[in-house]
Amino acid sequence: MARGANDSRRARKLLLAALQTPETLPALPPADWELLLRVARRARVLGRIESELARAGLLDHIPPRAATHLKAARNVIQHRKTLVSWEVNRLLWALQGIDVPLILLKGTGYLMAGLPPAHGRIFADVDLLIPEQRIAEVEERLLACGWFRTHIDPYDDRYYRVWMHEIPPLRHRERGTEIDIHHRLLPRTSHFKSDPEPLFATARPLADPRLRVLAPADMVLHALAHLFLEGDPDEGLRLRDLVDVHDLLGEFARDPGFWRELVARARELGFGRLLFYGLQNAQHLLATKVPPDVLQQMERDAPSWPVRKLMARLIPLALLPEHPDHPSRRAELSRWLLYIRAHWLRMPPLLLSRHLSHKAWLRLRGAKKRIDLAQLDLKQQ
Amino acid sequence: MIVATSYVRELVWRRFDDLWIVYQPSSAETHVFNQTTSEILKSLGDGAISEPGARTRVEQALGLATEGLTFEDFLPAVARLQELGLIDSLAENPAHP
Amino acid sequence: MIVADLNRREFARKLAGAGLSIRFGPFNLTIRSDLSSLATAAHELYAPYPVPETDAIHDFHVGVARPRSLRRWIRRQACFVVDSNRPFAPYTVEHAFPALEWGINWCVATRSHHLLMLHAAGVERGGRAILFPASPGDGKSTLCTALIHSGWRLLSDEFGLVRPEDGALLPLPRLIPLKNESIEVIRRFRPQAVFGPAFFGTRKGTVVHVQPPVDSIRRMHETARPRWLVFPRWTAGAPLSLQPMAKSEAFVMVAGNAFNYEVLDETAFRLVAEMVERCDCYALSYSDLAEAVAALDDLSPAADG
Repeated sequence: MARGANDSRRARKLLLAALQTPETLPALPPADWELLLRVARRARVLGRIESELARAGLLDHIPPRAATHLKAARNVIQHRKTLVSWEVNRLLWALQGIDVPLILLKGTGYLMAGLPPAHGRIFADVDLLIPEQRIAEVEERLLACGWFRTHIDPYDDRYYRVWMHEIPPLRHRERGTEIDIHHRLLPRTSHFKSDPEPLFATARPLADPRLRVLAPADMVLHALAHLFLEGDPDEGLRLRDLVDVHDLLGEFARDPGFWRELVARARELGFGRLLFYGLQNAQHLLATKVPPDVLQQMERDAPSWPVRKLMARLIPLALLPEHPDHPSRRAELSRWLLYIRAHWLRMPPLLLSRHLSHKAWLRLRGAKKRIDLAQLDLKQQ
Repeated sequence: MIVATSYVRELVWRRFDDLWIVYQPSSAETHVFNQTTSEILKSLGDGAISEPGARTRVEQALGLATEGLTFEDFLPAVARLQELGLIDSLAENPAHP
Repeated sequence: MIVADLNRREFARKLAGAGLSIRFGPFNLTIRSDLSSLATAAHELYAPYPVPETDAIHDFHVGVARPRSLRRWIRRQACFVVDSNRPFAPYTVEHAFPALEWGINWCVATRSHHLLMLHAAGVERGGRAILFPASPGDGKSTLCTALIHSGWRLLSDEFGLVRPEDGALLPLPRLIPLKNESIEVIRRFRPQAVFGPAFFGTRKGTVVHVQPPVDSIRRMHETARPRWLVFPRWTAGAPLSLQPMAKSEAFVMVAGNAFNYEVLDETAFRLVAEMVERCDCYALSYSDLAEAVAALDDLSPAADG
């Protein structure tokens, strides 16, 4: 067990060093490269590493075999970027004549606004925020133009519509990209304030004025909500999301008023605790530059010392992958813990336990993941 | 009135037999265009054209008599090209794009 | 160094411990398992394959292990593992070896996006290759096995790996899994071929792995240029027919069947277009294996003339 812990420590050190100081990567011995590729793949930051090395002109200075893995990641990412931006293009085409405010969220926003988190990041779906009262109209137009509702079980459908903040995803009949239409960033039941009207008031238009992205403070806080409130027991918290936060802070900090706005907005929406955790972990794990006076101010939002100490250990455990040969129990436990906490924050506890037991039941029934390898169509990957 | 979009210029064309296999960089899609469809795109080369005007040009290119190309062949191809983002309609009423 | 240089005990020890290091074509693998049935089959069938250098980077870390839950005691199950993930439903312990082979296919198909991966068998002679793109009822594995025991070198029975920089085919000469009737067909066609153990009652029926001739394995780093695209179809009692096929159709079949055509965007389009332009394309219909082999042999001298 001790060997497992050491191996995981080594794996995490390699991963964080790769993210913090990619310029040291050409000096890495092959054995370390092999391990780094595995943990980076797990944490979904292979593309990020490729992008940093490409920008520094160092791709020719790393072992060719490592470079092929990075190239593979880059090809997938490039392709997905094209698919996502085209889906936005087709969305605007379908919505011609309907004047509706559209805010692009998460990766879609980063990509279309040309923000740093878009480098080396894989995009799955298109995420949009539109006013709730316009959803029916938009959905109807998309359905008329070739999109369809993806099939989900009726329990999840009700969960989506009633409790969550998005409608079930839409997909065009010919393309694979899903469109997730949100009407608020967090559920109504959450104790974090997430009324959408103020977001629309401050959203920034892109070169195409029909498209907007969240104001910088809102974008960072949404990324934090995405990071801390959307864990799952398999993956835990996504390191990739913390990297997004790091990148956004680096970009927006160039505006002198940004930090003040960020702190004020966080307090206004009840996100103070999340911002506290976000800044602590970004600084600690990714060496994000946060002004000392901001850290000082955020002490006001810190939890009690026992909770703070516990979270300081659990959050990194949940964020960082273990050594790929030694899955650790502790990490599973803390992942579960954080997953529970995440759900508690999104839903009243009674409903939470009911929802979790139904999901557990679905898992036992095998409704979700286990695929038959022998019959698997390898082309559907 | 229909007009080619900027994405048409980026298309990569390869001819095999009497079909055109075409790659569209903006969408990462590969299309198989028959002669009618490819002539429609070519007829839009110089700017906006009316739909009947496009139809006439395509008929000439295909060596068909006037009215030789039925609307059943022509309109679906135009609609398809609009869906693919290669043609824009400068139509007045976009209620049904 | 090749796997056969390890004796049975060392082999099993590595497999059960830090992992067996082995090279298949362009890929270095680490394989782990403590199942003795798998060790026996693997030691025999992987014998001629090279072992990478000690400081080589390995591309895939795979294995077959028992499930972690109580299931391990109840039904003697085994799971395919990659980087400690278990993406698939468990197999019975008896089917551990086929599970490993299928799992390796999955790893290649889902990760190797630095290459264009066609779904095709490929064989080579004189520097020129025939690719057999997959389609239902193609019998390509059987045909491929017959050809590589008739003077052709194996590139792969499943993956047409195309290097984007120059369109060269990269060999991946792994074991060929034959199913059900094909097993007997090949035993009759070439009784001296090297057959692995039979696995009965798998999800695909009975499976036997054929080890490619040593020459195919030794030359796994020699690339090839595609010269012919042949779309095979085996139908009982069908007379032999090798007919030219329209290139437009060939393009659509090759692109439509590839593992990652879409992922490689314009590069994939250009690679497939060039391949179809340069290759002679045929539809092959046959029922007699020897006749089919002879007809394909005839392609080669025809191109020289």
